[in-house]
Amino acid sequence: MHILATEGLTKRFPTVTALDQLTVTAGPGVTGLVGANGAGKSTLIKIMLGLLPPTGGSARVLDLDVATRGAEIRGLVGYMPEHDCLPPDVSATELVVHLAQMSGLPRTAARERAADVLRHVGLAEERYRAVGGYSTGMKQRVKLAQALVHDPKLIFLDEPTNGLDPRGRDEMLTLIRRIGTEFGISVLVTSHLLGELERICDHVIVIDAGRLLRSSAIAEFTHATRSVTVEVEEGATPLAARLTELGHTVTPHGRLLLVEVTGPETFDAIRDTAVDLDLCLIRLEQGRHRIEDVFREEVAGV
Amino acid sequence: MSEIYDIGYRHYDGPRLGRAYSTRALTVHSLRAVFGLGRTARSKIMPFALAVIMLLPAVVSIAAMALIGQRAMGYSSYAVIMQAVLAIFLASQGPAIIAPDLRFRVLPLYLSRPVSIVEYVGAKVTAMTAALFLMVAVPLTLIYLGELLIDLEGPPQTKEYLGALAMALVLAVLLSAFGLAIASLTPRRGLGVASVIAVYLLASASVPIFYGTLISTGNDAAARWAWLVNPFWLVDAVQVWLFDTTPNSEGGYPPGPASAAIVVVLIAVAVSVLALRYRKAASQ
Repeated sequence: MHILATEGLTKRFPTVTALDQLTVTAGPGVTGLVGANGAGKSTLIKIMLGLLPPTGGSARVLDLDVATRGAEIRGLVGYMPEHDCLPPDVSATELVVHLAQMSGLPRTAARERAADVLRHVGLAEERYRAVGGYSTGMKQRVKLAQALVHDPKLIFLDEPTNGLDPRGRDEMLTLIRRIGTEFGISVLVTSHLLGELERICDHVIVIDAGRLLRSSAIAEFTHATRSVTVEVEEGATPLAARLTELGHTVTPHGRLLLVEVTGPETFDAIRDTAVDLDLCLIRLEQGRHRIEDVFREEVAGV
Repeated sequence: MSEIYDIGYRHYDGPRLGRAYSTRALTVHSLRAVFGLGRTARSKIMPFALAVIMLLPAVVSIAAMALIGQRAMGYSSYAVIMQAVLAIFLASQGPAIIAPDLRFRVLPLYLSRPVSIVEYVGAKVTAMTAALFLMVAVPLTLIYLGELLIDLEGPPQTKEYLGALAMALVLAVLLSAFGLAIASLTPRRGLGVASVIAVYLLASASVPIFYGTLISTGNDAAARWAWLVNPFWLVDAVQVWLFDTTPNSEGGYPPGPASAAIVVVLIAVAVSVLALRYRKAASQ
């Protein structure tokens, strides 16, 4: 089952085309939606919530059509906006209880769920204090809690790590991963930082200027490449020369050499050459793609 | 032994009530916010002080009935006499339930839930209407109860009391729709307060100017229309038309249902302004 599916989805604003013939699907688990600022991520989420009518094409969330079943979809999904959205003069508990009621939970159930969810996102005693005095990290947690309080099937997280320090970012990412695995709630998380998503996503969708660049499982992005990184203490240049002589493709990369692997004999050749030249071999490492590289290649190719 | 067990995430499989429930919950939440309930002590001062002021004439009226056996204040004139207090209440408390959601961009948190923008605005207007109605209806009811207990000569003025209650509701709908429409134009609460009070002052200050000018030029019939610029006299004019009460203005009002038509048009205009304003806010 797809948690979301779009077909030729287009959204034009008077001055810009935010989404251009976007056809994409995502399954359960954690899906990353990557793109630069203005790539159409937030527009896509608003269409998915049934808040913005598409100019063309169609979209389904949890197998419900966004054009006709918006209210039903909004009962089943949670949404954490990118921007600040918390009134400063109420406590986290009050706000989350109230919003749980807005999702249809009876008052007592809303209280229980709010307490549960605030604990899960890591807000302790401070949840009784007014939100106005919270740090950015705590505010992000409240925003996440309100998206989870009605136990949705799917949550949309728009730039959840925005404005967080490295530690807060790590904690937020760990929490998102837990939501997708332990909590069993599917997640669509946007970011303009690919490195973050690599850690937590099962699937990544890359969009640029409203068009789909790529949609694939994270494993495909970061599969092992056919190259090996070689680091020697000194003498990288003669090593490169000798390996090239032996018919290997070598690319210098600062102090490192990237050698294309043609088979097990490549590793033997590197070892033997290092011994022959009497070099001190420090590192021999299988190269892995990072999704940034893929993204860079694909953007360059468009 | 005090050990905290992490029982892990629990799914919710209890009841999920419909949009009617959510709208009702939002209405109650907003009504409480009008009176500062569940907020800091500071936000309770203004609404409660104004509520107490609204009650004072009722207390005096009951005392007058008990001591000298006379009515101090008619049911039909209560809202008109206390209009400044009601206007201040509307101006100070209306923006309190409208502005924060716009200013702090809380609206998307509502809109990403099943409640629709129409239900959201409906809940806010209903809450403000209920609050204004209570401000008028509670003192009126006190006077009526006082009248029943004291047992004045002649039958109790039940018809006048019920008529005044009905008009209090009309006034509350008109004021809240208009007040919230004006307040919704700015996300800043202070500016909202100032705008609502400015519109009220302008409306009430222009009445004597129009009236005086028209009277001095001998245009008595046209002068009566001047009263309708102020919403409190406008609703009083409807009361005179519907229940044949004594006008609270000099020289009376224009006859017939014109005032009622104006009330309906004004409410429609205010609701359209709210609809346009929130359609724009929702698409952001």
